Amino acid sequence: MPSLLVILIVLPAAAAAMLLLLDAKAPPVRARWAALLATLATFLVSLGVASQFLSINRSGIEGTSPVHAQMEQKYTWMTIVPETADVPPITLQFHLGLDGISLAMVLLTTLLTISAVLVSWTAISERSAEFYASLLILETGLIGVFCAFDLLLFYVFFEFTLIPLFFMVGIWGGPLRRYAAGKFFIYTLAGSVITLLGLIWLVVETYHIGIATHTPLATPFSIPAITELLAVHALPMETQVFLFLMIAAGFMVKVPLFPFHTWLPLAHVEAPTAGSVLLAGVLLKLGAYGFLRLCLPTVPGACLSVGMPLIGTLSVIGIVYGSFCALAQNDIKKLVAYSSVAHLGFCMLGLFALNTEGISGGVLQMVNHGLSTGALFCIVGMFYERYHTRQLSELGGLANRMPLLAVAMVFTSFASIGLPGLNGFVGEVLSLMGMFKRDPILAMIGATGVVLGAWYLLGVLQKAFFGPLQEPHHDSHDEPVADLNAREVMALLPLLTMCLWLGLFPQGLLDLIRPDVESIAKLYGDVHATKGTGAKNYSLKRPSDADESADAALPENVERKAPQANPNPNPNLLNPAAPEAPKSEVRP
Amino acid sequence: MNESLQNLNGAVQLVLPEAVLLATVCVIFFAAPFLVSERGEAPAGLRHRWGWLSLLSLLAAGWIGWSAAEVPHSTGPFVVDGLTLFIRSLTLVSGAVLVLLHWNQADDSRSGESHACLLAILAGVNLVAAANDLVGLFVALELISIPTYLFLLLPRRDAPAQEATLKYFLLSIFSSAIVLFGMSYLYGATGTTNLYAIHQAFADHHMPHNALVAVATVMLIAGLGFRLTAVPFHFYAPDVFQGAQPSAAAMLSFVPKVAGFVALLRLIVPTSGGDAAMQSWMMTPSANNLLWWLAVITMFTGNLMALMQHDVRRLLAFSSVSHAGYMMVGLVVGLHSSQQINGIGALLFYLVIYGVMTLGAFAVLIAAARSNRRIETLDDLAGLSRTKPALALVLSVFLFSLTGLPPTAGFLGKFNLFFAAWSQGSESNRLLACLLGVNAALGAWYYLKLIGVMYLRDPVDRSEDSRPLETPVLVAVAVCLVGTIGLFFVPSPLWTHIQSVVR
Repeated sequence: MPSLLVILIVLPAAAAAMLLLLDAKAPPVRARWAALLATLATFLVSLGVASQFLSINRSGIEGTSPVHAQMEQKYTWMTIVPETADVPPITLQFHLGLDGISLAMVLLTTLLTISAVLVSWTAISERSAEFYASLLILETGLIGVFCAFDLLLFYVFFEFTLIPLFFMVGIWGGPLRRYAAGKFFIYTLAGSVITLLGLIWLVVETYHIGIATHTPLATPFSIPAITELLAVHALPMETQVFLFLMIAAGFMVKVPLFPFHTWLPLAHVEAPTAGSVLLAGVLLKLGAYGFLRLCLPTVPGACLSVGMPLIGTLSVIGIVYGSFCALAQNDIKKLVAYSSVAHLGFCMLGLFALNTEGISGGVLQMVNHGLSTGALFCIVGMFYERYHTRQLSELGGLANRMPLLAVAMVFTSFASIGLPGLNGFVGEVLSLMGMFKRDPILAMIGATGVVLGAWYLLGVLQKAFFGPLQEPHHDSHDEPVADLNAREVMALLPLLTMCLWLGLFPQGLLDLIRPDVESIAKLYGDVHATKGTGAKNYSLKRPSDADESADAALPENVERKAPQANPNPNPNLLNPAAPEAPKSEVRP
Repeated sequence: MNESLQNLNGAVQLVLPEAVLLATVCVIFFAAPFLVSERGEAPAGLRHRWGWLSLLSLLAAGWIGWSAAEVPHSTGPFVVDGLTLFIRSLTLVSGAVLVLLHWNQADDSRSGESHACLLAILAGVNLVAAANDLVGLFVALELISIPTYLFLLLPRRDAPAQEATLKYFLLSIFSSAIVLFGMSYLYGATGTTNLYAIHQAFADHHMPHNALVAVATVMLIAGLGFRLTAVPFHFYAPDVFQGAQPSAAAMLSFVPKVAGFVALLRLIVPTSGGDAAMQSWMMTPSANNLLWWLAVITMFTGNLMALMQHDVRRLLAFSSVSHAGYMMVGLVVGLHSSQQINGIGALLFYLVIYGVMTLGAFAVLIAAARSNRRIETLDDLAGLSRTKPALALVLSVFLFSLTGLPPTAGFLGKFNLFFAAWSQGSESNRLLACLLGVNAALGAWYYLKLIGVMYLRDPVDRSEDSRPLETPVLVAVAVCLVGTIGLFFVPSPLWTHIQSVVR
């Protein structure tokens, strides 16, 4: 009996294989139901995995290594260098496992995939079996990335996700789909080839360190083993910097950070709704997750001296630039795409604050952005199905026509803006708080993104949903456009519920990721203590034990604020500065 | 007299599998004319019998070769070491795939001779791998070249095929002459034709590195570069691939590369294995630079030229050029160091994987041909995912493998090359790894273009095509598919075996 983790990874792929074997002339409804069942089953398995994971006692693991996996599964893949008397072997493994961070991401993936299937229900009528097969294969790849604890296996899944998404964008996308798919594919591939070289270099260096310090690694590709060794014997600073830049190359494209983001709006706009949902919801997180899993624990010196200023600056530019780009868009989907650039900027800002608040905020922001932007893309897709346009200039006052859709849109926008009581708020506040401790200027510039975010999203609400009714030409001339049906509600409801729940009770998620985040952040505490010279400019502004107290105080801060789930009927009354208010409250 | 007979007998014992193949060649050449009438008509279905005979012969060769013992450090004409056995099994398996690909490519009347040529070529490759003498090496290389001319021309005798054959013929004899020239200088420098003795002579430092050796080095690399399709000796490849029958193109994309690399290894690396590679006579610093630049230029030219192609066969030709460059990276790295992951090991691993995926790609092109038209340009592939979804999917697997994406063997092949180049540690080899990375990204563009054409475009010719799929080609496709996916998940047996060969 293979473990649940293996089943979780294999199940979607097996379902996809079955879908491909379906008769091509079978009615699409069969493929839909099969896909829905498969995603539901995968979700249930992921819940089972989660319950297994939660039953593990994880206290006292912080001391061992910056990265520690639970529920590990190891199968030997390939022994590159056989063991001899004077040389330890180099072995690749299928090394699967979970930690708190990856469990959160796995659950996000399995949840979003269900919504992705539901929103494609009627939108995809052509070659539907192939479409759902791609979707499920993509799910396998995504779960695999989060469960991989072998460097090469991580990279394998990371690369593998390109293939199904290429087909999804290229076959079922919009008018520019071929160009968009090609650009997305080549852009990310070029970046990740450099990452592969960086990873190889990292392994080679670590392997030699292991030999030199008489603690040879049997599996120098295993992430926990590498990080454990490097936490004790750090690499020389110059090597670290080069390694950081090489490994970061692929992830910077994937996130995407500012100058490397050009593939994203194109791919988002051209992708079918389900593709956009998964692209925004999970795929972009692969970049951030890669940073968190591979850069932060392995090359701490470089992350602090080069990564923090570089990635911090690029993230801030991304936040401001992405927000302004979003403001200028007339196409709602493109607007949401640019808002992703801004939101991922927050996420990276949090991660590269390199302290407990910041990293927790970054991880939270990963989950939040997945939920809220996933939901936003779902809604935009439902919109498009009704009107076959996404141009803001052609829409107006639709709240009268479709109250349910309007409620969902307003709710999701608020979550995305970061209204207190909804999930976006917690992540943004934690990220900015973390960054404030590290570099107040970056944090302050980044915080303007909150205002800008409110500006463009409220602009959409005002223009499209309120004010005088203006309906574009649509198919059903005689009868008015229908509101959300049960299927669409079912697609959105879980996401919105999670948005609210994480906004009100973020502590559960914070507790889940805390041990892993702390053990990484501790690395940076040590770096300050021992490597003060290398990181003079960014030395710690307060002792690291204060991190815990700030963390513990936070939930109260959050819960004090009344949830504002009810959308305001007149957005003009909403002061755009309102979301900024938390900033002053957070730092008493 | 008696002793020399005994020697000869002993030598033949070493190459019994090749003797079986060549005996079959003789039988076919002798019998085939009697089965074809004077007007050139043969009984229908004769090609199936030749195909079965070829397979049987390959099987017999494999069966005999299975129990062959290693006889390294020989001073005789032949040597049987790990490399020989490895190459022998590689050619026999790939030969079986090629026979399947060629099954219906030649009509009944010419099928026998063309199958015999194929077997002779395979025997030639094996003899290259077993050669322990400059003369034997040259004869074995010619045993590959001469049947290749026939193999290119026999299945098709129209103008493009004739042009292709002529181009190949002229360049091939030119390269043979260059190889011979280089060998003569090597003989002049050492006074012996025995490879073992040559390596010994240099290993003991009796031999100074003089101008004779330098000329020999350059000439041998240049002459064998023709078989590797290394730039600038690649010019024939696109034209020949375009003009020849697809099965012949498939053969040309793989088999000469095996022969070329094995010949280089035999010449450069002493038979004792990779450990002594650094002491090889050829490895003067300038020869190193020559191979380094050859690898870089080959990769870039192949990929950049492939970007511009609209003909699938020309595209695959340039792709095979670029893959030759990748494998030369392994060679360059392997000659630099013997420790850790071995570059030559990575090269041999990549060679196997390259064979699996490129033969697979050609197999799909053969299988997907329409009754009135073969797959020639990109338009012929357009919309293949609608008309033949399974074949399109399989071809995408091969193309993703050629790109080097997981979960296919091509990824592990590239990874091993990267790892070998990087862990070797010298700056120039790390630069080489980076250039390999650039080329992997460049290559992705045109393989992706092919996949895009199959999946994202509508078929040009929408008429129903009732041509049944051919079983032999489908078997070949299945073998290659299993290899491409299987070697990703279970690379250990092959890799461990290669490690034992190069160590």
